[in-house]
Amino acid sequence: MSGVQRPQGLVLEGLERRVGSNLVLDGLNLSVAPGECLALLGPSGCGKTTTLRLIAGLDQPSAGRIRLDGDDITRQPPSRREVGMVFQSYALYPHLTVERNLSLGMELRGLPRERIAAQISSVLELLQLEPQRRRRPAELSGGQRQRVALARALVRQPRLFLLDEPMSNLDAQLREDLRAELRLLLCGGPQPVVYVTHDQQEAMGLADRIAVLHQGRLQQIGSPRELYDQPANLFVAGFIGRPRINVLPAEAGCIRAVRPEHLEPLAEGGLPARVLLREWQGASQLLQLETPHGRWRMVCDGRVELAESFGLGWPPARELRFEAGSGRRLH
Amino acid sequence: MRFRRLAVLLVLLWSLLPLLWQLYTSLRTGSALISPQPGLSGWTLDNYRQILSGDPPFWRFLLNSTVVGLASTALTLLLAIPCAYGLQRQPARTRALLSGALLAAAVFPYVLLFLALLELARRFGLANHLLALSLPYAGLTLPLAVLLLGAAFRDLPPELEESALLEGLNTWQRLRWVLLPLIAPASASTGLLVFLFSWNEYPIALTWISRQELLTLPIAIARIAGSSVYTVPYGAFAAATVLGSLPLLALMVIFQKPIVAGLTQGAVK
Repeated sequence: MSGVQRPQGLVLEGLERRVGSNLVLDGLNLSVAPGECLALLGPSGCGKTTTLRLIAGLDQPSAGRIRLDGDDITRQPPSRREVGMVFQSYALYPHLTVERNLSLGMELRGLPRERIAAQISSVLELLQLEPQRRRRPAELSGGQRQRVALARALVRQPRLFLLDEPMSNLDAQLREDLRAELRLLLCGGPQPVVYVTHDQQEAMGLADRIAVLHQGRLQQIGSPRELYDQPANLFVAGFIGRPRINVLPAEAGCIRAVRPEHLEPLAEGGLPARVLLREWQGASQLLQLETPHGRWRMVCDGRVELAESFGLGWPPARELRFEAGSGRRLH
Repeated sequence: MRFRRLAVLLVLLWSLLPLLWQLYTSLRTGSALISPQPGLSGWTLDNYRQILSGDPPFWRFLLNSTVVGLASTALTLLLAIPCAYGLQRQPARTRALLSGALLAAAVFPYVLLFLALLELARRFGLANHLLALSLPYAGLTLPLAVLLLGAAFRDLPPELEESALLEGLNTWQRLRWVLLPLIAPASASTGLLVFLFSWNEYPIALTWISRQELLTLPIAIARIAGSSVYTVPYGAFAAATVLGSLPLLALMVIFQKPIVAGLTQGAVK
């Protein structure tokens, strides 16, 4: 036994995927600790689902390595990687009952019957699916199907959880409820969790850390707070935070940007703004403003009464600055 | 609404009248068939009695055809399912090429092959073996069966198999426990097509089988003879046709649901 401690969790080293002449994923490096939930966030086509499929072994990388608890699993067949994956479409077996959906894999691997039954019962209870035990997927609601998919990933006690936009087919209310449930179920267990989503709110709510991908490249990885307060570049600044950040035109090689919630009306002077649209949301209000720099967004307290036109200002310390060409943030 | 009902009635008459006419003919005496005025007399079961008491009795041919049909269907599905699954996993270009070749084979007029097939039968001593007939039958229906089943495999969402793969199921297990149950409707309709082909096939059966007790239905019906060279036994022909159609009717009734499901599968996501 060597004294060197093996790195635990999931490690991606220079992971690359080429399809034809197209570089879908360009040298991705990241690691996910045991029990950590990492969200892969980005617009569609950014490479997040590709990354997940590479980790699962459903696609092969053109270069790079995947390590799980120190083992190199890059060339290991997917059936031996012991990952629990939840697909966007859930991919439940339509001809099998909930119970058989969960047990099929374990049965065919020849696990003892009593152990399978015990594991299934505990997972069904955990996810409150006991009453649906003998139903087929077609007889379940969207939320129940999603929970069955989750249960199927959980029941095998995998070394790694992979979730591909598991909530994109659910309505907003259900999504919010399940977000909390998912966090309690998956995160904090012994396994690393990789969660793919294009919804920044979902990523912020669920993940310990977020990796933002764009055009196959990692833009930034960090806690939700870091991404929000210290975005690495203009893309991350624009992608994280709703409503979207306001951007000023480039000036002497520098682009300045201000978050909508940092804007405030001034008694006099400032950037002239006219209210186009007011969206009252109770605690806060969202204003669409016409300014010399185009349409800006502003968020302020719901009780504030604003004139139709006013001057806009913001504390200089709140302003984010980016290099004009590269979009990198300047410190 | 009334017009639509009328149209349905017309279509039904159009397709069912010949069958009903056969049924009618099979139940009439010879003289009643040719008499100019239709009468209520002249109904008989003699035609059925005649063919069922022939040597060998007619049910023997029904049995022969059933055996050949079942063997051909089983053999075709056994070969076509793995082929279709394999075809589905090919890269798009290879798949298009193979599908084209299969289509060409499927539309080839097989009658042109029967002399060559006869040579083969002679060479390998396959003549006058009932089960040997299912070899050319399976071969001839295989291309279409692979195409139909391939389409059924293609309609399944790929995540289903990927999910099974991640659960550690090997190729055979994925096919057996996940994919096959889902393409069951398509398999049923494909199997029925094969069975129908085998049931109706004439030229190969005619040339491969000469022993009376091994004949399949179409050949046996064609050989029904009248009492003299100058009589055409319409009644006996009709009775044989009716008896030969009954098993198909039964199959259709049994498999109606899965077949319709198979035909419309993939039409609506």
